[in-house]
Amino acid sequence: MKWLGLGGVAVLALVLSVALGPTHVPLGALATSDIVRSIRLPRGVLAFLVGGALGVSGAALQAIVRNPLADPFLLGLSGGAGLGAVLAIAAHATGGWAVPIAALAGALLAMGLVYRIGLVGGAELDPRVLILGGVAVGAFAGALTTAIVSLANAVELRNAMLWLWGGFGSASWSSVWVVCAYLPLPLVALFAAARPLDLLALGEDPARYLGADVARVKRQVYLAASLLTAVAVSVSGIIGFVGLIVPHAMRAVWGRTHRALFPAAFLGGGVLVTLADTLARTVVAPRELPVGIVTALIGVPAFALLMRQWTAR
Amino acid sequence: MDRPLILDLQGVAYRYPRASANAVQDFSLEQGSGDFTAVLGPNGSGKTTLVRLALGVVSPDAGTVRVLDRPAHAWARRDLARVLAVMPQREDNLFPQRVRETVLLGRYPHLSLWGNGSDVDRAAVDRALSRCDVDRLADRSIWSLSGGEYQRVRLARALAQEPKLLVLDEPTSSLDVRHEMELFELLRALVDAQGLSVLLITHHVNLAARYADRLVLLAGGRLVAIGAAEHVLTTERLEAVFEWPVRIERIEGRPQMIPLRAASTPGKDR
Amino acid sequence: MRRRAYRTDLAGLLVLAALGWEGWGGQTPRLVVTDDANRAVSLAHPARRIVSLSPATTELLFALGAGDRVVGRTTWCDYPAEATLVPSVGDGLNPNIEAIAARRPDLVVLYRSTLDLRAAQQLLQLDIPALVLKQDRLEDLARAAQLISRLTDDTMAGDSIARVMLATARTPASALGISIAFVTWDNPPIVIGRDSYLDQLASLAGARNVFHDMAAASSIVSLETIAVRDPDILVTIADSAERHPEPPAYVRAPAWQAIRAVREHRFVVLGGSLFGHPSPRADSAVRELRQMLRGAR
Repeated sequence: MKWLGLGGVAVLALVLSVALGPTHVPLGALATSDIVRSIRLPRGVLAFLVGGALGVSGAALQAIVRNPLADPFLLGLSGGAGLGAVLAIAAHATGGWAVPIAALAGALLAMGLVYRIGLVGGAELDPRVLILGGVAVGAFAGALTTAIVSLANAVELRNAMLWLWGGFGSASWSSVWVVCAYLPLPLVALFAAARPLDLLALGEDPARYLGADVARVKRQVYLAASLLTAVAVSVSGIIGFVGLIVPHAMRAVWGRTHRALFPAAFLGGGVLVTLADTLARTVVAPRELPVGIVTALIGVPAFALLMRQWTAR
Repeated sequence: MDRPLILDLQGVAYRYPRASANAVQDFSLEQGSGDFTAVLGPNGSGKTTLVRLALGVVSPDAGTVRVLDRPAHAWARRDLARVLAVMPQREDNLFPQRVRETVLLGRYPHLSLWGNGSDVDRAAVDRALSRCDVDRLADRSIWSLSGGEYQRVRLARALAQEPKLLVLDEPTSSLDVRHEMELFELLRALVDAQGLSVLLITHHVNLAARYADRLVLLAGGRLVAIGAAEHVLTTERLEAVFEWPVRIERIEGRPQMIPLRAASTPGKDR
Repeated sequence: MRRRAYRTDLAGLLVLAALGWEGWGGQTPRLVVTDDANRAVSLAHPARRIVSLSPATTELLFALGAGDRVVGRTTWCDYPAEATLVPSVGDGLNPNIEAIAARRPDLVVLYRSTLDLRAAQQLLQLDIPALVLKQDRLEDLARAAQLISRLTDDTMAGDSIARVMLATARTPASALGISIAFVTWDNPPIVIGRDSYLDQLASLAGARNVFHDMAAASSIVSLETIAVRDPDILVTIADSAERHPEPPAYVRAPAWQAIRAVREHRFVVLGGSLFGHPSPRADSAVRELRQMLRGAR
C-alpha cells in the first residue's frame, strides 16, 4: 500500500517537472512540444535518477558508519569533484563532457584516497576513520579549489562555482543514458549487501558471529555508495541534504530493513530532487536558482525538525 | 570419549598486535554436544579472546582450533554461523526494532542470497521465541524491554540460528537476581531438553558451579584447572587466581565461593 | 559639511606630509571631487602617480593623455598596448593593498563593488586617496572621465572624451529588426540582462536583447527560456583575441538544439577587450557589432 503511494508520488513529481517550467507550455501541447521532449523530460528524468542515487547512497553510508547523521558528501567526494571540474574549466578543456569527466575523475581519486586512509588501522575499513579521512580530503580539495579560483579569471571561475552549487541546466538525453548505464552495478551491489547491513546495526563483531563477511560488506558498500555519489556529482554538481534527509524520512515509514529501505530511499530521493528542480526553475522565473540551494533551504529546517525528534526520544 | 567434538582447541596461544604478553597461552578445550561448560577467571584472563579464537575471528599464533573436525579458519562465515552461535557481551542497540525482526536476524546464515525468509525460517523464529519465553513480547519494540527481557530476546536470536554450540559472553553482567537466575535456568533446560552444547563465560562463580557440568578456570591466559566444580573450586586455587581470601561452602551439593572480609587472614577456614 | 571639510583638510595635510614634508602650512586642497560612492576625494596637486584597478579606467587614462602617469594596473588591463608596459599590481576585484602601496600612488581608481569599497577604506587608512567609480555603462564612463580629469587637472580632455561617449550613448542606430541573446556560460546557462554594457551596445546597434526585461547584469536561466524567447542570433563572448573565433563547443549539445538560433547556426562571437567594458572606442564597438549581426542574419 505504501509502495503504491510512493510510486504515485514519484509519477506525480515527474509529471510536474514536465508540465511546469519557466515558460508556459499548454497542457495539450505537452506531448509534442520540442521544449518538453528535448529539455524538460530529460531534465526531469535525470533529476530523478540523481536524487535516487543520492538517497540510496546516503542510506548505505549511514548503515556502514552506523551513524544516522552521515551524508554522502562527508566522504570528500564533493571536494574531489569540485577540484576536477575547476581544473577542467581553468584549463579551458573543450567538449561538453570535459567537465563531468573531470569531476568524476576527481571524485574517484578522492574516493581512493579516503579508502586508503580508512585502511590505516588494519586490513579492514574502519568507519570512524573513513569519516575523518573524508572530511580531511574534502577540506584539502576545497582549499586547492579556492586557490585555483582566486588565481584565475574571476568571471569564468565564478561560473564554475555556480556549477558546483548543483543544477540540471545541461541535462540532455545523452546524459540520461550515460547515468542509466552507470547506475545498475552499484545499485545491485548495494541491494545484495542489504541483509548484512541489517546485521551490521548490531555491531561488527555480532554481525560476524551471525555469519556476515563484515570486511567484504564494508568494502563493497563503501565503493558502491561512493560510485553512486560520484556519478551524481559529476553530472549535476553538489546537491546536499538529500543523502542525509531522505533515508531518515523513509526509515520512519519503511523501518530499517535495508531490502525495503533502499528502494524506498531511491524513490524518495528522486521525488525530492525532481521537486526541488521544478521549484528552482519556477519560483524566480525567468531566472533559475541552483538546485543545491533549494535542497539546502528545504533540508536545513527538515534537519532541525529531525534533530528535535531525535533528542526528544 | 568418542563423541564427536563440536569445538576442539589444542595448545592455543594468541597475542594481540602490539601487546607485550600473550592473551591466551597453551590453552586446550574439548566441547561436545550436551556439554555445559562455564569459563571463569578474573578480568583480563583471556575469556573474550577465547570466544574470538573459537569463532575463527582471529587466528591463533600457536595451536589449532577445530570446529566439527575442520580448522576454524577453513569455515565460511555463514556455514560456521549455522554451527556456532554467539551472544556477545555487548551489542549496539541504535535502532528501535521489533522483537520478532531482531530475532529473525538470527536466521541470516540459513537464508539464501536473494530469497526471502520462508516458512521454515518463521517457524524457527517462533520456536526460539517460545523456548526463551518471550513469545508474548514478539511485537514489542526492543527499546521498551527490560534488561532481563532483552537478554532473553538476544538468546532467542542466537537460538534461531539453530546452532550445535551456543557461546555466551557474560550474559548476566547487568541483570538483577531474578533475571539472572531465570537465564541460568533457561540454559540448563535447553541443555537438558535438546542436548544443546553451551559454553558460558561468566563472572558468577557460584551460579556456574551450580548449573554447569564442567568449569574451566583461567588466569593470565592460561588454563589453571578444568573439570567438575568439586575439583576446580578449592580455596588455594581460588585465592591464587582471584587474589582474595575466600572460603568454600556447599549449597545444593555444589561448592560455593564466599569471599571474606579483609579482616580475616587468608588460608584459614572458619 | 563641517566634518567633511575637516577631514579633507587633514587628508590634504597628510598627503603633503607623505609627499616629502614640504611644510605644514594650512594649504587648502585645490582638487576636490565626489566619487560614485559619495565620498569626497581631494588632492593638493594634480595626480601624478595613478594606479588603475580596472581595464576600463586604464584605457580611459591613456585616452585622456595621462598614460604616462599610470604606475600600476591590473593583470587584465591590456589596452592600449602601452598599458602592458606598466607594472601589474594583481587583481582589480579584491585588490592587493600592499602591491598597490608599493607603487607609491597619489591616486587609486577603483571599480564600485562591495569588496572594493573595503579596499578604499584600507587605502584611506594608508593616506592614499581612492576614487570609486561606477563603470557599467557609457554614461558612467563619461562621468568617470570628467572626475578623473579634474584630479589630473586636465578638464578639457575629460570633457571632450565625455562628450564623445555621451554622444554615442544618445544616438542609437536605426532598428535592425534583430533580436539577440548574450550567452556567457553553458552549465548553468547564463545570459546578460539590462544593467550591462553589452545590453547597451545591443540597443545602440539597433538590436533587441530578448533578456532586456531582466534587470540584473547576468542571470541563470533554463535552456527552455532561451528557446521560448527565440532570439534570432546567439551572441557569445570568446576569451581569445582571434580574428574569427569559433562558437563554443557546448552549442553542439543536443539540448541546445531546441533553440532556433543554434539549429540555424546563427552565432556571433565577440572577442577581445573592445566589448568587455565601456570605453572611448564605444562607437567602433557599436559599428562592429552591427556589422556582425547583419552578417549573421
